[in-house]
Order: sequence, then C-alpha cells, then structure tokens
Amino acid sequence: MKKIAVCYKWVLSDTDIRVNEKSRELDLEKSKPQVSEYDRNTLAAGVALKAQAGASAVVGVTCGTVTEGSSKDALSRGPDAVYYLDDAVMASADSSTTSKVLAAMIKNIGDVDVILCSEASSDEFAQQTGPRLAALLGYPSVSGVAAISVAGDSLTLDRKMADGTEVVSVKPPVVISTVPEVKDAPIPSVKDILGAKKKPANALTLAGIGLSADAVKPLFTINSVLAPESKRKVVRLNPEGTSIDDAAKALIKQLSTDGIL
Amino acid sequence: MRDIWVIAENLPWAAVLIAGAQTINKEAKIVAFVNGGESEAKGAIAHGASSAFFLPLPANAIWEGYVPALAEKAKADKPALILLSASRRCRDVAAQLAALLDAPCFSEGKGISVSGDCVSGNTMVFGGLAAKNASATAETVLVTMGAKDYEPASADASRSGPVDTLPLAGNTPAVTARKPKESQSVNIGEAAKIVSVGRGFADQADIEHARTLARAIGAEVACSRPIAEFFKWMPEECYVGISGQQIKPQLYLAIGISGQAQHLYGVRDAKTIVAVNKDPEALFHQNSDYYIVGDWKEVIPALLKAING
Repeated sequence: MKKIAVCYKWVLSDTDIRVNEKSRELDLEKSKPQVSEYDRNTLAAGVALKAQAGASAVVGVTCGTVTEGSSKDALSRGPDAVYYLDDAVMASADSSTTSKVLAAMIKNIGDVDVILCSEASSDEFAQQTGPRLAALLGYPSVSGVAAISVAGDSLTLDRKMADGTEVVSVKPPVVISTVPEVKDAPIPSVKDILGAKKKPANALTLAGIGLSADAVKPLFTINSVLAPESKRKVVRLNPEGTSIDDAAKALIKQLSTDGIL
Repeated sequence: MRDIWVIAENLPWAAVLIAGAQTINKEAKIVAFVNGGESEAKGAIAHGASSAFFLPLPANAIWEGYVPALAEKAKADKPALILLSASRRCRDVAAQLAALLDAPCFSEGKGISVSGDCVSGNTMVFGGLAAKNASATAETVLVTMGAKDYEPASADASRSGPVDTLPLAGNTPAVTARKPKESQSVNIGEAAKIVSVGRGFADQADIEHARTLARAIGAEVACSRPIAEFFKWMPEECYVGISGQQIKPQLYLAIGISGQAQHLYGVRDAKTIVAVNKDPEALFHQNSDYYIVGDWKEVIPALLKAING
C-alpha cells in the first residue's frame, strides 16, 4: 500500500461558544480552534492502518484558515507528516470548496491511495466531504465505516447501516468516511507532543496546487447564523418553598390537562 | 419550474420527500428514484411522482454504485432540485452527485424555499447550537431531508406513470456480507412517550427506576449518548441526539441529562419536554416546558406516587 492520507478539520470548539440572548447571534470570541473531535478517531485509525497494511506513510491533510496552528496537535496524534493549506479565501469555504482543495492537495502530495475522512465535522456536520472527494478523484466512496482491516491487497470495511452491518471489500484507491467507533483516540502523551515537533509540517498554497481562488468559490451565500428561539414554556415546578412531592403532583396534573397522560 | 427529483432509501421516505417537493412547488413534475423493486417505484407514483425508477439493493455490491447513472441522467435532465433521504446511503449519493454536478447540497435542509433560481434553507451548525440560513443559485440544488420532515399524502392506486430502472456501475465496491441487527424490542422513533436517562444515573442498575416510571406512564426508555456509546448500558438505537435518534414524541421526560446542544437537537420537535436534574444550571431546564430541580432518587418516587395516587 502507498500513502494513507487522513483529512482533518481545524474547527472552533463548541463548548466555549456563547449565544447573545438578544440578537441570537453566536459569540465565537472565547472559542479556540481544535482538531475536530471525530477527526481524532480517524487519525488514530489511519495510524493503525499504516501499521497493519505496511503503508509507506500516513499523512494528515487540512485546509482552512489559521491551519498552521493545527500541525503540532495533528502530528502529536501519530501521522508521519502534515500538509496544511492556510488561505483567507477558505473562511467562507463550504463542502464543495473544501473537497476541491483537498482533492488538489492529495494529488499534489502524490502516491496516496487510501484517504480517510470522518463522516462529519463537529462544526458544520454536513457529511459531504468524503464522498465529494471520492467523486472528484474518481475513487469509490465507502461511508459510515466503523472498522477497517487488511485482507491481502484489499481492505475489509464494516459499514454501520440503520439495519445492521454491511461488509465491503475494496481494493485501493478508495475514500473511506469513518464514524467515531472506528478507533479510540488516545490523548497524546508528553512524548507524542515532543515528538510532533520533529516531524515535517508542509505548507501548500492554492497557486502551488494549481487552483485559483475563483475555482474554489463557495456555492452558498450565508445569510445568517442564529441560535433558535426557544419555544419552550420553561416553567419551574418546584420554585423555592415547593416540595418535590408537590412538584411531581403538579407535573402529572399538567400533563393530564395537556392530554399527554 | 423544472422537475424535482426525489432519491429515497425506501418507499415511506420517498412519500415524505414527494410531499416535500409538492410543498416547495405545487406545479413541478416529480421523478422518484427508490431503493427497492418495481412495486416501490409504483408506490412512489401512487404517492404523487409522475415517473419512477427502482434501484434494487445489489446482493453483492454497495447501493451507491448507481451514482454514475444518476449523475449522467441529472446532467441530461437538469432537475431544479434533488431531494434525498438523509440516510447513510442517500447522504453518500447526495454528496457524490453534488460533486459530479458541481452543485450545492443542503445537509438535512429545513424550511427549503425556491425563488426563481435561488434556493434558500436552514442547516444546523455547532451540534445544533445554531441554524445557518444560506442561499444558492445553481442549475441543480440538492437537499437531504429527514424521514419525518413532511406529512406524506395517502397513496392513490389509480395514479399511473412510467416505471424503469438504472444500471449499476461496473467497478462498484463489493459487499461480502450483510449482517442484520438483532431484532430490537424497542423503537423509540415511534414511541409517543419517552423517559430518557443520562449521566445523572451513576450505575446501570439505577436505570431500572426509570423503567418503572416509564411502565407507569406507558413510555419507552431512551438515553443520552454517553449511556449508550461510552458505558454501553443501553443499545445504541436508544440514544437521542444529532448522531443518534431524532425523535418527535408527545412527551420527552429527560432525567439526569445535562442538555448539550447535540442532545437537544434530537428532541427539538418533541411536543412537550420535561427536565429533571439536580443541577439548577443544567441547560435542559432552559430548554424544557416544565422542569423540576431535584435528584431523580427523590423525583421518580414522587412521580410514581402522584401517578398512582
């Protein structure tokens, strides 16, 4: 097997995002970028697959803005090298943009025949990048993969379907979209973090991979990003001085009145 | 308006997508592509499609092998919209088709509307924390949709239309086995009432208390992601959230669940939400209709007493 490329996304952590109660807009100021949680599992799966398949290398690949800062974090998770593309035009990237840039990056890296993507990112959750990448590269797409094993020159992939498991056998090249169960993602050790500093982080540019900014224009115009208004009644049944027993009675009575019980 | 295509995982979902197509534009001709046999295609016509293609699940290959034929047909027919099931197979097909057509695709698009050539709609971001409203102008726009997004029309068996199939690509990855899940005794997607448990339950045995309450009100028991995925105390089919089940019961009684956006996304369409959590700051309280600040160890017995008394 040649190289394994694991695509990862450098996303804002959603735990520090606050909602402005008046405007319903998101306050992203306190939120720091991180390797998308699902991608940590996928990076671990890529590292394990390299060992099992005897692949020549496993590399991390990302594109976006401020992605240079992602390389140490990604490298501490086990890949041999990272390729990142950092360009302001990526600020408005949608799945179409991202997959076009990743496809060109992977062609530029060369000798890649297994590409792993998490099925979804923790910010957009669009679940499009892997299959789009497959279509652009002309490789088969196998999504929802929960286990990967090597069988000769083929890969055996367990797809998690609504009604059970579909076992797929495919010869690389292939684009595999994974679900988090594919591999546990250990927290990088101090040794892993120190080791990351010695591994190569390679910067690629749009011009360098043969793309114009125009070729990767997003297909969507974003009108707004707003937290939904809560339509819920938000009634506390045990305000100060009300016992749990009385609150329970009030709840059962209310649900009966509403015709639910 | 040009044609609207629907590509569906199964016939019931096709009926929902057809209802969606009719809601978006009453006049457009609907062409359906359904996983299944000729009877599924005829069923799609009975539900309102003008013509239909059946795409049987290949015994020895993945269903996504229909993508090249679908892409070729889409390039020739230029449908204005393609609505697809937000199921694993159809999501994969949606993204591949979108790339081959260089087209925009709304993932689990809500409130889709069309004005001229411009399609607008909402998708959710940051695990359900916010909705992104976006627009796209393109020859063909794709949208994946949930299985309950629209109310399907009843079938009219007198409707008729042409039925055909499409070829599978020759180089489609092979399927060597399909292992069905062990039959599930619960289907929380269909339950009218749900009692749901989270990390407020420190021990697997404690879930029995929630089951007792559920039996008393005729509810099924569901859970948050950690209970199923990390502790494996309940089957995966039971967890509610963005990556699990998205349900719309009459009653969702959440006990000991903090109420992260990812979980709330799974119950945003529930009619009534009740939260029980000992933490007064639990996010679920502010996203409930009624809430009780208290330990489930006190609240469950009190509820049982109120029901029986």
